[in-house]
Amino acid sequence: MEKSNDLGKDSPTEAVPSLIRSADGHQILGFDDDDTKQSDSNFQFMVSFQIKTQLVMEWRDFIKLINESALKMAVRVADNQWLDLINLVVIEFLFEFFQKPSGNDIESSSDSSSREATQSVSISMPHLRLDAERVVLKDEVEAAGNDSPENSGTHEVKFHSEPIIMGGGTDDQTVAGKTPEHRLILPVKNPRLDEFKDNRYNSFKTWSGRLERQLSTLRGKPRNEPEINPPQNLQGETLSVDRYFDALEGPELETLRPQEEIMLPEDKKWPFLLRFPISSFGICLGVSSQAIMWKNLASTASTHFLHISLRVNYTLWCISILLFAVVAVTYLLKVIFYFEAVRREYYHPIRVNFFFAPWIALLFLAIGVPDSVMRKLPHSLWYVLMTPIFCLELKIYGQWMSGGQRRLSKVANPSNHLSVVGNFVGALLGATMGLKEGPIFFFAVGLAHYTVLFVTLYQRLPTNETLPKELHPVFFLFVAAPSVASMAWAKINGSFDYGSRLAYFIALFLYFSLAVRVNFFRGFKFSLAWWAYTFPMTGAAISTIRYSSEVSNVVTKALSLILSTVATVTVTGLLITTILHAFVLRDLFPNDIGIAISDRKSKTQKKWYHRGTCGSAKDAEHQGKTRNSGEKEVRIPVIHPAN
Amino acid sequence: MVHPEIGLEVVIDSSITKHHKQPTTTIGRKQSAIKTPSKRSQQGVIATINAGYFRICMSLGGQALLWKTLSEKTDISPTFGNLFTKIPSTAFFLIWSLAVCIFVSLSILYILRCIFHFKMVKSEFHHHVGVNYLFAPWISWLLLLRSAPSFIFPHKYSYEYVWWPLIVPVIALDLKIYGQWFTTEKRFLSMVANPTSQMSVIGNLVGAHAAIKMGWKESGICLFTLGMTHYLVVFITLYQRLSGNNHLPSRLRPVFFLFVATPSMAALAWKSINGNFDMLCKMLFFLSLFLFTSLASRPVLFKKSLKSFSVAWWAFSFPLSFLALASTAYAQQVKGVTANGLALILSTISVLVFVFLLVCSTLKIDSLLRNPVLSFSDEN
Repeated sequence: MEKSNDLGKDSPTEAVPSLIRSADGHQILGFDDDDTKQSDSNFQFMVSFQIKTQLVMEWRDFIKLINESALKMAVRVADNQWLDLINLVVIEFLFEFFQKPSGNDIESSSDSSSREATQSVSISMPHLRLDAERVVLKDEVEAAGNDSPENSGTHEVKFHSEPIIMGGGTDDQTVAGKTPEHRLILPVKNPRLDEFKDNRYNSFKTWSGRLERQLSTLRGKPRNEPEINPPQNLQGETLSVDRYFDALEGPELETLRPQEEIMLPEDKKWPFLLRFPISSFGICLGVSSQAIMWKNLASTASTHFLHISLRVNYTLWCISILLFAVVAVTYLLKVIFYFEAVRREYYHPIRVNFFFAPWIALLFLAIGVPDSVMRKLPHSLWYVLMTPIFCLELKIYGQWMSGGQRRLSKVANPSNHLSVVGNFVGALLGATMGLKEGPIFFFAVGLAHYTVLFVTLYQRLPTNETLPKELHPVFFLFVAAPSVASMAWAKINGSFDYGSRLAYFIALFLYFSLAVRVNFFRGFKFSLAWWAYTFPMTGAAISTIRYSSEVSNVVTKALSLILSTVATVTVTGLLITTILHAFVLRDLFPNDIGIAISDRKSKTQKKWYHRGTCGSAKDAEHQGKTRNSGEKEVRIPVIHPAN
Repeated sequence: MVHPEIGLEVVIDSSITKHHKQPTTTIGRKQSAIKTPSKRSQQGVIATINAGYFRICMSLGGQALLWKTLSEKTDISPTFGNLFTKIPSTAFFLIWSLAVCIFVSLSILYILRCIFHFKMVKSEFHHHVGVNYLFAPWISWLLLLRSAPSFIFPHKYSYEYVWWPLIVPVIALDLKIYGQWFTTEKRFLSMVANPTSQMSVIGNLVGAHAAIKMGWKESGICLFTLGMTHYLVVFITLYQRLSGNNHLPSRLRPVFFLFVATPSMAALAWKSINGNFDMLCKMLFFLSLFLFTSLASRPVLFKKSLKSFSVAWWAFSFPLSFLALASTAYAQQVKGVTANGLALILSTISVLVFVFLLVCSTLKIDSLLRNPVLSFSDEN
């Protein structure tokens, strides 16, 4: 039997107290009892609801209200878990009242209800992250609101909250509800060292921390921390791409979905290396492409009227070399010490494209090298730089072609342009060096795969889960491939002929169609990956300069000036924002949630679903995967009147 | 009794339908018509063979063309030239005659199948993989035509007389299949696309290649355009893999090598239109080379299909022959040690694979004939 009620706009501050009121009087809780009378007395069925986010938000307000009134808690909680706890408390509240007033535990009451003619619906709420095992509550039902004076008396109820979900804890531990005491009483002598020794991060370290222990024994330090075995589920396991889609959301797949949890502690700041994403190489991309642009501005005949000196190029090039060295060394350290984290980044559907970024940055450095440093680069350098790109390409394009989980129709997103643009940059460098066949090879491969990617992204297939719904700076990557391709083709052919012009005009069109929508680029959280999105603008500027040297008139010169200015201004603005975040706000490297997702849905989630329901938990999990992440799955027990 | 102030929207969730489940219903129905091969073995060879067996003829034709091209080479650098000129042209003639014999016998068997088991042929026509192999006989004929020794066609117009009856079925099949891709609801390209869809493209390109040899440039260009346009569409659709791997049985994985065959054939066709191996040909050749490297570095993909010998193994051979042909044309244009070395390596691989397959087929001819990878039923 199906029920349907419309979700009214009434605030739950009026609704819930009435529910509690009615529950107290053992009456039907707010559902049509005509239906319930007609139901067969010996069956129990499930009704599942979807409560909109608005309701949940209003719940939170309501719960704040309760919080402010005379509800006492005897529990140690982290401050930011307060609201979640209250959520849980109120729902358990309702549970207690929904059952027969036998003061039973929730599990037993659900069993008893199954034997009787009750229709029960269960509620699932986001899991708790508590540091305590049990919650003892004293509540006054009057606190449920000012407009429910009928509720009187206090009920002392005991609630068994969910045991803690520990970062990296095994299932046994959570089920048994043990609190590993040592974690709470770690003496904080040297925070950094403790962080390093913190065994919660072991699962992300190379060989689960054994490398570190080896190194520390080599250095002669005594082993004094207890050896904790890392959870077995993290060793050498491949996270399926579906897991990333289920757990994360957002245009860069960085934000955790509400009902998900992560394997590392959320409230602590993780070790710096763990927080250092591969998208940091985007900074190198942005700065080195600026160096190329200033070199072209200084050396092209059509822009001589600007009187730019080559020193700008020299300075920028030295800065980018330095930056690249710093970023590369840091990431190398991360590879050595936290290989698991690097692996998880590789399996992330968006971050995998950034693995091309270091090599593209090196190619940019080679293209933008000032004449004073080196005039002629050796051919072997090209082969050395292109080999990693070639190997990565074989892997990634092969994944696209052979179907399976990571096929293109599923994972296509604008960041994939990074995997394609490397071909064109390599072709450009090779042609500049004077090579003939190699550049054509990479140009051909890049062109074929760019066509596929371009069509797929324009299609916005419904099976595509990673495409951001709104405009986001990542869309500027669309401009990258055609502009670099036009320059590469011009270099291969010797002149900026029709093929290059075709590609250049496509790039220009895409640039303008994004530029007129600049109003829509609002409300996004700054991240280091934004640096990678500036190099297409610089690339478009460089190809405009090249075009203006071929077709030299006022329009093209003005265009090259405008685009170069826009690129420079953007990079400067980004630089200021980065410095702001690094030194003032100190959140340039936030906890990297994207790599810390658990490999399966939390067990407590399933427990909620199983509670007093005869529906399948699997359905609920599937429904959790729906794209409307704002809606929650809620089931509420409905009780037949005890007449 | 308190009625609620809030209403709750109830959504009864039926089973989750995945996106690709609906389009495959028609195909699934067709697949249910396929019976297990063990039943087939009682019904004789005619009922067992299907158009997929013409892969053997295509491979033979491709090899014959390769040997012919190699034996005609005159301007390879001296170090490699000696190797190639030592190959007697009688070896080429042997392969060619073998190809003709096998092709004639297979054709006779297939004609008998059309006569006695027409319903099977019909169900093959409706199958999303089987229909593409209906191009295979005509491709084999065209390849044999193209690689025929010069004394077979003494008369000037005899070549054309043979070419026309071969190209008409290709065009007819083209019209039917390409039209279905974007008009008929049940057989949209997004639903039926699989690597064998490239067979139609290869058919057009081989036809174009053969036409240019006759001197009919316009029809050659026409067929080339037809092939390339649909190649673009098929390439993109296949790379997107809209419906995943569901449509191709794992024993048919060797047909992934068709990805290698098509660009090579396109390079050869464009070369014959243009006269020399220019930029577009080079780019197509490089694409083909890249795809070959990509597939060769993924042995896991082919593990299941390599467990037992079947006619699908022949799908490895002719793409390699086409790739070797394209590499020899490339080496001819770009003279240099690397290019010639590449041509030599690819030709060697192609010949070795071909010989290996010939030997395996002769030894295991029984399992070859009794074990088609796809079987089609008599019922509708």
